[in-house]
Amino acid sequence: MAKRDEAAFDLLVARYQERAYRLAWSMLRNAEDARDLSQEAFIRLYEAAGSFRGRSKFSTWFYRILVNLCLDHKRKNRWWKLWARDEGDDWTDPILERQPAPVTDPVDKLSRERTMKELGAAVDRLAPRQRAAVLLRVQEDLATYEIAKVLKCSEATVRVHLHRALTTLKKTVEKR
Amino acid sequence: MAKHPDTDLVPYLRGELPAADRERVARHLEECPDCRQDTEQLRDLLGQLSRSIGQPPEVNWAHYRAELRGKLEARRGRRVWWWRPAPFLLSASVAGALLLLVAVWGGRETLTGADPFALEEASIGRQLGLLQEYQVVERLDLLEDLDVIRDLDGLSSGRQG
Repeated sequence: MAKRDEAAFDLLVARYQERAYRLAWSMLRNAEDARDLSQEAFIRLYEAAGSFRGRSKFSTWFYRILVNLCLDHKRKNRWWKLWARDEGDDWTDPILERQPAPVTDPVDKLSRERTMKELGAAVDRLAPRQRAAVLLRVQEDLATYEIAKVLKCSEATVRVHLHRALTTLKKTVEKR
Repeated sequence: MAKHPDTDLVPYLRGELPAADRERVARHLEECPDCRQDTEQLRDLLGQLSRSIGQPPEVNWAHYRAELRGKLEARRGRRVWWWRPAPFLLSASVAGALLLLVAVWGGRETLTGADPFALEEASIGRQLGLLQEYQVVERLDLLEDLDVIRDLDGLSSGRQG
């Protein structure tokens, strides 16, 4: 690869590394896997750069590579995970440390934190494609048509994914 | 009352719907308290979700990039082993076959006593390209002859003078 391509690649990595790692982590809830798969996505991007036709946004194309890697990873690890029950996941504590705006009433704060934690856990339990749709919407702020491109499905399907996912999550919140 | 626009509510909240659909959903929400309540709940839920997903553990980005670069190099190295021999062997075979062909043809022409001058001319022609236009070169002689003919009058008048 020419020097200028190398420089362009470095620039792309610097620009997308945080988003890629964060999205992979949100889908996998494991820092090591997120790091590994986000790097793999960059390698795939490097190898397939010539096939990018510019028909969709670059970020959409990149998200598609990454999300597919994560979905494949989850599929491959499903049985192992069932047996090992998410051993090594680093999902449990970080949210509590990163909650915004301290709430005056400690009881209220505790309840709020618990809701957040349960909501986060409920997102983890969603079907992989529903979860991907929710994360791409909520975390990456992608529009429905962009999510459809990433997941390679119709906009109507994305709307159904989102509706079902949010209905499930709403029930989690209502239970409390 | 029209069908509940369940799957349209999220795009509606995000302002993604085309004008006609947006109006349809807005009209429905005015008439349907259940959907209105759902919409409000969805709005809250989407806000809560963005906070509940949390942030991953910190990463040293310089180290991340160095690791990525290492993986990329390793992948390329693997490619070198897997990919290079194939084109190399292919081009070596083609070159060998061509050499054999040239040797056979060259030998045959030498045996049949081909004109060495013609061979040399052909070889130069391939290199120069000029001899590919040999007919034009031949016509240059004619042009020189015309010059001579034109000067004949002068020659004869010179003699006379």
